[in-house]
Amino acid sequence: MAEEQMVTFSLGSEEFGVDIMKVQEIIRIPPVTRVPKARSYIEGVINLRGNVIPIVNLRSRFGMPPGEETDLSRIVVLQIDNRVFGIMVDSVTEVLWLDSEAIEPPPPIALGMDSNYIRGVGKIGERLLILLKLDQLMGGDSMNEQIA
Amino acid sequence: MSQGEKSMGIDLDDFLDFYLLDSQEQVEKLGSGLLQLERDGENISLVNDLFRSAHSLKGASGTMGFTPIVKLTHAAEDLLDKLRQGKMLVTNEIIDVLLAVTDKVKMMLAQVERRLDISVDYGDLTSQMKTITETGALVQKSKPFAEKNQMEEQEEKPGINFALSPEETETVSEAAFVSKSVYWLNVVLEPNTMMKAVRAVMVIQRLELLGNVVKIIPSIDELEVCEALEFNILFVTNELQKDIRADILEVSEIYDALVTNYTLPESDAPEIGLTVQSEEENPVSTEKSIEESVQISRSKQANQPVQQNTNEQPRKDVNQVHTIRVDTARMDNLINLVGEMVITRTRLVKIGQDLQTENQTDPLVVSLNEANVYLGRLMNDLQESVMKLRMVPIGTVFSRYPRLVRDLCRKTGKRIELVIHGEETELDKTVIEMIGDPLTHIIRNSVDHGIEAPEERLAVGKPEVGTITLDAYHEGNHIAIIVSDDGSGLNIEKIYKKASEKGLVSGREGLSESDIANLIFQPGFSTADQVTDISGRGVGMDVVKKAITNLGGIIDIKTSKGVGTSMIIRLPLTLAIIQALLVEVGKETYAVPLSSVVETLLVNKPDIKTVGSLPMVQLRGNTLPLISLKQKFDLPESETINEEVYVVVVGLGEKTVGIIVDELQGQQEVVIKSLGDYLNGLPGIAGATILGDGKVTLILDIGSLLQDILIKR
Repeated sequence: MAEEQMVTFSLGSEEFGVDIMKVQEIIRIPPVTRVPKARSYIEGVINLRGNVIPIVNLRSRFGMPPGEETDLSRIVVLQIDNRVFGIMVDSVTEVLWLDSEAIEPPPPIALGMDSNYIRGVGKIGERLLILLKLDQLMGGDSMNEQIA
Repeated sequence: MSQGEKSMGIDLDDFLDFYLLDSQEQVEKLGSGLLQLERDGENISLVNDLFRSAHSLKGASGTMGFTPIVKLTHAAEDLLDKLRQGKMLVTNEIIDVLLAVTDKVKMMLAQVERRLDISVDYGDLTSQMKTITETGALVQKSKPFAEKNQMEEQEEKPGINFALSPEETETVSEAAFVSKSVYWLNVVLEPNTMMKAVRAVMVIQRLELLGNVVKIIPSIDELEVCEALEFNILFVTNELQKDIRADILEVSEIYDALVTNYTLPESDAPEIGLTVQSEEENPVSTEKSIEESVQISRSKQANQPVQQNTNEQPRKDVNQVHTIRVDTARMDNLINLVGEMVITRTRLVKIGQDLQTENQTDPLVVSLNEANVYLGRLMNDLQESVMKLRMVPIGTVFSRYPRLVRDLCRKTGKRIELVIHGEETELDKTVIEMIGDPLTHIIRNSVDHGIEAPEERLAVGKPEVGTITLDAYHEGNHIAIIVSDDGSGLNIEKIYKKASEKGLVSGREGLSESDIANLIFQPGFSTADQVTDISGRGVGMDVVKKAITNLGGIIDIKTSKGVGTSMIIRLPLTLAIIQALLVEVGKETYAVPLSSVVETLLVNKPDIKTVGSLPMVQLRGNTLPLISLKQKFDLPESETINEEVYVVVVGLGEKTVGIIVDELQGQQEVVIKSLGDYLNGLPGIAGATILGDGKVTLILDIGSLLQDILIKR
């Protein structure tokens, strides 16, 4: 039976999961530099050991109300198609294995979120894990619209 | 033999990069040579060069198994061979076909480079060439291939010593008992052969079928790294001398092969080896008798110490290498590391300064600061040297335009001379790579819209042949590239009319001619009445402008009706490390490239007047348009109202604009980092840098800020 390893994190009252192979590292939130004229869900850029990487504010991306930055807040640095970016999360909860059979397609009315970003929903006992479709987070609607 | 077996394991894929580099070079050579040939059709040595290029292209492609390239170049080679033998005269038709071949091969190589199968269709070209070749053949029958070798005949062949091990000596002496012949083979490769080891392996593979290879000097491995164009083989066989030679010559890129009898030295000194032939002696060609060459070898052996000579040939050649090819990724890594060091140094300097304010007298602090100053100087030198590694002469880009202009001329029936100056001007490799396409576009435009048809030119009293000049030179921290033509100039009225039709401008007043000319950089603008094959599809100068702005540059037009048009492009010299002025706006810090800073001013608020929607200030009798960074970057206006504001005057070329900021923080060296694919191309931002405290700071894109203002006006 196929299993997938996931990094899970919380955002508001929801719990999310991303494929561990896409996670480069998890860091505390360093000073973030705002980037004017960038899309609203771009929190800014940070210095990751000499590289400048963009940070996505997931709350704003998913249309959630803004939250407070706490001691538990983290940036999950993702690497997708050789491009690196970070997502801001309220806290990282755990690393777990998930049976592929426990993954169900996204419900039609996807928890109030755009289902474009959701790969499916994982069930672990009573817990519901929203599995993110990572390539849609940064791409999807192209950055170029804004430039023109 | 062991050599042969080991080397046969060489994976051709390892040589693909070599092959591509070499082939692309040969194609370039062919291209420029053909253009030269068009003007100088009688030049036989030129034809010979071209033939050789085509031949080695064919050979290399054959080894790598790229059949389409082989077929195409083979046909071209045949055609060139005809020209070379004087059986045909150079015509425009032939040049056209051959140029088309170079284009096709380029496309094929591009596919090879991307590891794709070659899918470029080339059938019509080969048949076209065949027709030309055969029509020529009606006059006189073509000569057999063998003649070629005679034309390129003899050069001096230096001698070689085989330092044989006892086992190898035994193999050779055993051969004599079973009445096999022992030969010394001297194989000479064609100049510029890239994959020498592959050639050697191919030769050895053939020989293995005929007999027994005892030893190769230099070894296959050495051959790949040294510059020697020849290698020597000790070979035991039953075959005849001339058969062996013929067989070797079938391998492509083999210039010549000498096959000479080889005799072991007298039994007392087997490990010393034998001088077969020395440099002082006349070369031994196949025509000379075997007897003779054996005699020479004996006489020499008597008085020449052998060991000393053995390795001299390769070593001497290695010393002649003045340049090395380095993978750009390695170089970029080096530059990144230097960049990191620059950042770390700024941190050190900051720590030193902080310590000094705290404790002015501590001798340790004083010496730390001294060391910092020294480190700073070293870093500057290091940085400069590293940056020079990336500098490439712009001639590498310019060289493609003679061909372009020629082709366009043939299509349009115009007569144009392309004059190129300043090819040696160097600029950053990245810039070089990116500037080619915009320049192509501008030159196309000059040919299509700029230069008039010959009759038209004669009618207005201009010389029939138009001139397009391509010029490049340094201008402070920038490089200027100028494309000018002596054509009809831009039609200002037509541009204005078009622009107002498209709603790009509202009123004529306040617009200078050059302002109107600059409207052609607006998206979707094209004034050509007819859509031609060359330009005028409406995707035009705005793309050019965008490309140049992306490089941190600016483009400007000067045009004069009936006299001509000049496009002036100004680009930064390098894209990696720059001096920057740090400015504070609200709580944010931005870096302004110092190369575009003209001056900084302290301006009284009441002196700022608003004209139209733009704030302006009078500066020494000129109006200077202002940009408020706060507004531009959506920052809240500060609550405390200062009487005075700082204005950083920035400019490129003749255009200047003032940027309103809150504070000036001083100047610093910064390493430009890209914002990555996700955030590329944001208006007003050229990139990012990391300051001494580790925070990311954005770098302003002066080019785009300037263009912004110009458009608004």
